[in-house]
Amino acid sequence: MPKLTIEDLKKIKEKTLQETALREGGHKIRITVHMGTCGIAAGAREVMDALLQELAESQRTDIKVMASGCMGMCSSEPNVTVEVEGQDPVVYQHMNPLKMRQVFRRHVLMGEVQTDFALARVKQVN
Amino acid sequence: MKALRTELLICGGTACNASGSTKVRDALEVEIHKAGLQDEVRVIVTGCNGFCAQGPLLLVKPDNILYQKLTPDDVPELVLEHMLKGRPVKRLMYTAPESAEVIPYSENIPFFSKQLLWVLRNRGILDPERIDEYIARDGYLAAHKALVEMKPEEIVEEVKKSGLRGRGGAGFPTGLKWEFASRSPGEIKYVLCNADEGDPGAFMDRSVLEADPHAVLEGMIIAGKAIGAHQGYIYCRAEYPLALRRLDIAINQAREYGLLGKDILGSGFDFDIEVYQGAGAFVCGEETALMQSIEGKRGMPRPRPPFPAQRGLWNRPSVLNNVETLANIPQIILKGGDWYASVGTQGSKGTKVFALSGAVNNIGLVEVPMGTTLKEIIYEIGGGIRNNRKFKAVQLGGPSGGCVPGHLLDTPTDYEAIAKVGAIMGSGGMIVMDEGTCMVDMARFFLDFCQEESCGKCTPCREGTRRMLQILEKITHGEGEMSDLKELKELAYFIKDSALCGLGQTAPNPVLSTLQYFEDEYEEHILERHCKAGVCTSLFKARCINACPLGQDVPGYISLVAEGRYEEAISLIYQTNPLPGVCGRVCTHPCMEVCMRAQTDEALAIPKIKRFASDMARLRRLKPRLVRREDGKEKVAIIGGGPAGLSAAFYLALMGYKPHIYEELPELGGMLRYGIPPYRLPRDVLDEEIRFILSLGVEVHTNCRIGREISFKELLAQYPAVFVGIGAHKSQKMGVLGEDHPRVLGGAEFLRNYQLGNVPDVGKKVAVIGGGNVAIDVARTVRRMGADVTILYRRERKDMPAYEEEVEDALAEGIQLRTLVAPKRIMESGKRLVIELDQCELGEFDSSGRRKPVPIEGCVVTEEYDTIFAAVGQTSDIEGLGGLLTKRGVIPADKFTLETNLEGVFAGGDVVLGPARVVDALAHGKKAAVQIDKYLSKKKNREPVGISEVKIEVTMKVPEEVTKQPREEMPKLAPEERVKGFKEVELGYDEGRAKTECLRCLRCDVKL
Repeated sequence: MPKLTIEDLKKIKEKTLQETALREGGHKIRITVHMGTCGIAAGAREVMDALLQELAESQRTDIKVMASGCMGMCSSEPNVTVEVEGQDPVVYQHMNPLKMRQVFRRHVLMGEVQTDFALARVKQVN
Repeated sequence: MKALRTELLICGGTACNASGSTKVRDALEVEIHKAGLQDEVRVIVTGCNGFCAQGPLLLVKPDNILYQKLTPDDVPELVLEHMLKGRPVKRLMYTAPESAEVIPYSENIPFFSKQLLWVLRNRGILDPERIDEYIARDGYLAAHKALVEMKPEEIVEEVKKSGLRGRGGAGFPTGLKWEFASRSPGEIKYVLCNADEGDPGAFMDRSVLEADPHAVLEGMIIAGKAIGAHQGYIYCRAEYPLALRRLDIAINQAREYGLLGKDILGSGFDFDIEVYQGAGAFVCGEETALMQSIEGKRGMPRPRPPFPAQRGLWNRPSVLNNVETLANIPQIILKGGDWYASVGTQGSKGTKVFALSGAVNNIGLVEVPMGTTLKEIIYEIGGGIRNNRKFKAVQLGGPSGGCVPGHLLDTPTDYEAIAKVGAIMGSGGMIVMDEGTCMVDMARFFLDFCQEESCGKCTPCREGTRRMLQILEKITHGEGEMSDLKELKELAYFIKDSALCGLGQTAPNPVLSTLQYFEDEYEEHILERHCKAGVCTSLFKARCINACPLGQDVPGYISLVAEGRYEEAISLIYQTNPLPGVCGRVCTHPCMEVCMRAQTDEALAIPKIKRFASDMARLRRLKPRLVRREDGKEKVAIIGGGPAGLSAAFYLALMGYKPHIYEELPELGGMLRYGIPPYRLPRDVLDEEIRFILSLGVEVHTNCRIGREISFKELLAQYPAVFVGIGAHKSQKMGVLGEDHPRVLGGAEFLRNYQLGNVPDVGKKVAVIGGGNVAIDVARTVRRMGADVTILYRRERKDMPAYEEEVEDALAEGIQLRTLVAPKRIMESGKRLVIELDQCELGEFDSSGRRKPVPIEGCVVTEEYDTIFAAVGQTSDIEGLGGLLTKRGVIPADKFTLETNLEGVFAGGDVVLGPARVVDALAHGKKAAVQIDKYLSKKKNREPVGISEVKIEVTMKVPEEVTKQPREEMPKLAPEERVKGFKEVELGYDEGRAKTECLRCLRCDVKL
C-alpha cells in the first residue's frame, strides 16, 4: 500500500463516515417501518428491503431507518412513517416495495408528500 | 445492495470479555442470520464502554438503546423483538437502583450523562481494530497538523498552554517536560509511553489502549516531532493481552498507511513505535526502572538527576508519558491549548479518567472534568454505596495514595486540593469503601503490596516497609501496643524522606492517611483488641459476637438452647448481658446485620432466641449461675436507673462493690420503662429482671434527682466513685414557628407521662413528626388511645432511622405514613392546630450519603390536627451536675475509659453517646464497672477484682448440610387485637420453633 497523503486521509474519512454514519447521530430524516406481526404478514419485510436498497443507492447519511412495533391500525398495514426534520410526520398505508420506492424518491429525497398513499399527516403536539 | 439500518456495538473490553461478551456476539451473528437480517443489521466489537459492572453491554445504533448483562440465551428474543419487530426489550435494559425505573437510552443513564468524554471520546463507538474508523473520527489529522504545519516549539507551546499535567500520577506539566527534552542536545532521542499500569483497582490505561489505541500512537508521533525523536517505545505489561494485541494491530495498520515509518504523510518526518512487554513488576512503572527494563536489565530505579529529559533510555534524552496523557495530545493539537484549558480548575485542566471500583453501585471507568467533586463521582455517577450501606472512605491513587473520609467528600478532583487532604490524584484509581472495611487492614493490604513489589535496591524501602508491615500485622492480630503507632509514624516519615524512588517514597502513604483520619480504629485494635468492621479475624470468634457491643457469645447460647440446656443458656447469656428478656425484645440486633447465614437465606433471629431462653428460664424458675466476689468494698453512686446504670450496678455488685442508684423518676428502668411502650416490653419482664439485679445487693433511691434532692457536690463527697448514666429524655426542638403551642407535645415527654399515668387528651386526629423509634412508639401508643395517626417524615421511608419491623407493625395497625414532607409552621385555628407542610423532593447528597430533602417551591399543604407530636430527636437533661464538663449537650467522656474531667467520675450511655441503642448503654455500664474497679483498686494499691466468668461447656459442632430454610416466623397478635390495648404484640417462639431456628446457626465460632 502506498503512503498516505493528507488527501488520502480525508478520502478515507469521508468513506468510513458514510459506513459508520449510524453511530454519529445528527439524522435529519427518520423513516419508520411498522413491523408488528400484522405488518410483517402484510409484507413489511419486503417494504423494508426495498427501502434499504433505495437508501444504499442514494448514499445519504442523514437518513435513519427504524423498525418499530404495530401502530394499532392493522388493517392498513404495512405502514411506514416518514419524519422530515421541521415537518409533520406522514403515515403511509398499504405499502408495497413499489410504493416504498416512490415514497423514498419523491417524498424523502425531493420533498413531495405522496398524498395518494398517505393515511394521515400527524400534527406535532408540543 | 441494501443499506445498513442498525449497528450493534458490543463491548469487547477485558471486563465484558470476562463476563462473556464473545459468546453473546457469536449468538448475535447466528440469530441475525436466522432472521435474515445480515444485510440490515451489523455487529461491531468495540473497546471498553466503561460501565463494566453491567457487562456484557450492547449499544444499539442509531436508537442509542443500551442493553446490559446479556447472556447468549437473551439473544434470540432480543433479535426477534428489537431487530425484527422494532420492540425494544425492557427487561434487558438498565434499571436505576434507587427508583427501580427502566432507562432505555444510554444518554439518560446517570452513569453516562454526568461524564465528559475527551480521552475516551471514541470508547465503545468504534472498532479499535480498524484504523479507518479512527480516521473517520478525525484520526491522524492532528499528526498531519503537527508534522506539516507546526514547528516543534509551537507544539510545545500549545501543550504548555493547555495546562495538561502528567496523568500517571505525579502531575508534572507535560509541556514543560517536552520543552526540557527538546532543548537537550543530541541526535537520538526517544518518546516512551508508560502503560505499566499496576495499581490494584486501576484500569484506565488498559481501557484506553483497548478502545482507542491509535489515539496513543498519534500522541506519540506528535511528541516525537516536538522533541526531535524518531523512535518510540510503549512499555506495556504482559498481563494485558488484549491491549497488546490491539496495539499490535494498530501499529501494523498505521505502518501500512505510512502513518508510522519514513516520511509520514509526506512531511519528511520519520517516526516508528515498538511495543516492549513488561513482566508485571510494579516498580517498572517508575520511569528510571522502566528504562532499565527496556534496556534489557533488571528493572530497578536509579537516582535522579540526571532526569530522563537529559539522560534517559540508553543515556539519550527521553520523554516518558502515561497512556492517558498521550491520548489527550491529538485533540489539544487539533482544537488548541485554550480549548483544553477552558475546562477544569485553576491548576488542573481538562478531564481525568477514574477507575471507580469497590463498594459503589456503578463500577466502571468514568471521565469527568477536573474539579468535579468526589461526592459527585461516587454518588451521582457511581450511584452511591451498594446494598444501602454507609460510606466510610475512598482510596485515591492506590498503594501510593491516601484515603479521604466522608466529611471531605466535597473535595474537588484537582491535584493540589487532593494532596491537601492527604491523598494523591494518582493515575486515577478510586476505590470506595463502606463500613465493612477495616482501615487498619486496608493499610496493611497496600503496604503488603508495596513490600512485595519493592525491588530491594534501597534499604529504607526494602527493610522499612517490611518492618512497617510487621507492625501492622501485629496490630491486626491483636498484639499491638500504643507505642507501635509512634514507631509506624517515625518509620513512615523516614522512608518517605530516604527511599530512592516513588514506590518507596509513597509506600507509607496509606498508613499515614489512615492514621490521620482513622486513628481511633488503630486504637480500638490495640486497646480493646476489637475490629469493629469485623475484618481482622484473629480478634474474634464469630462476626455476630464481634458486632455486639456486649460481645455476647451468640453461637454459644444458641447451641445450648438447641440442646435444651436452658439453665446453662441463661447462665451464659448473663455473663455478658444483665437484661436478657429486655434485649430479646427491644434490641436492634447489630449481630443480625453481619450474620453469615444471610448469604444462604436470611440472618438468624438472634434476639428472638435470646428471648426464648429468658422465657424458659422464667417459666422453669431457673436462676443464672454467676460468680460473686466479695473483694470490692466501696460504695459507688450511680446517677440514672436506666440500662446503663442497671448494667453498671449489676457488674459492680458481682465484684463485691456497693452500688447505690439515684433515680429521678418513681421507678427504675429509664427509657426502657418511660420510653418503650408495654406492647413491646411487658412490665412484668422488666420488673423481674430489675429485681434480680437488685437482689445482688444494690441500694436504690428513687424520686431523687441530683441537684434537687441531693447536690452533686454532696454526692461526690459521699462516694469515692460516681457513674453518670442519664438517658436522653428531653425532646429536641424542631425549629419550627409555633412549636411552643401547648398542644404541640414532645414525643419522649408524652411517653413518660403516659407511663406515669398523666395521659393528656390528644383528640381524634394526631400527627407525629419524625422517623425514629420514638416517633413510632408515640404513634402506636396514640393509636391505642383510639386516635387517627399520621407520621410525617421529611425523607424517604428507606431513610427512616426507626427499626424496619416496627414501621411495618405500625402500618399494619392502621397508622398512616407520609414521607417527603417537612413542617414549616404551626398555628392555632379554633380548637385545632393547623400545620403548614413543605412538600419536598430529593436534592443533592448530604454527608450521610442520603439525598437531602429540598422543599419544592410553592408546594405547601395545610392540614389540621388536634395534637401534634415532635419526635425528631432527644437529648439528656444534664442540669445540676456542677463542675462536670459538657459539650453540645453530652459529656465528652474518654472513649476507652469513660473518665470525665472530674477524678472518680465516669459517664456512659446516652449522656455520652447521644440517644443510643439499649445495647450500647448496657455495654457502657459494663465498661464503667470495669473502669471503676480499676480506679478504686489502684487507689487502694490492690489488683483489680475483675469480672469472673462461670465455665460453661458448649458443644463445638457445625451443621453437616446447609439447605435453604427461611427464618422461623414470630407469632404476633392480630393487628385488630393489638390496637385495643397494650398487650405484647410478639408472642414468642415455642420450643419447637426456637430449636428449629437455632439449628440454622452455621456455628462460625467453631474453628475447624
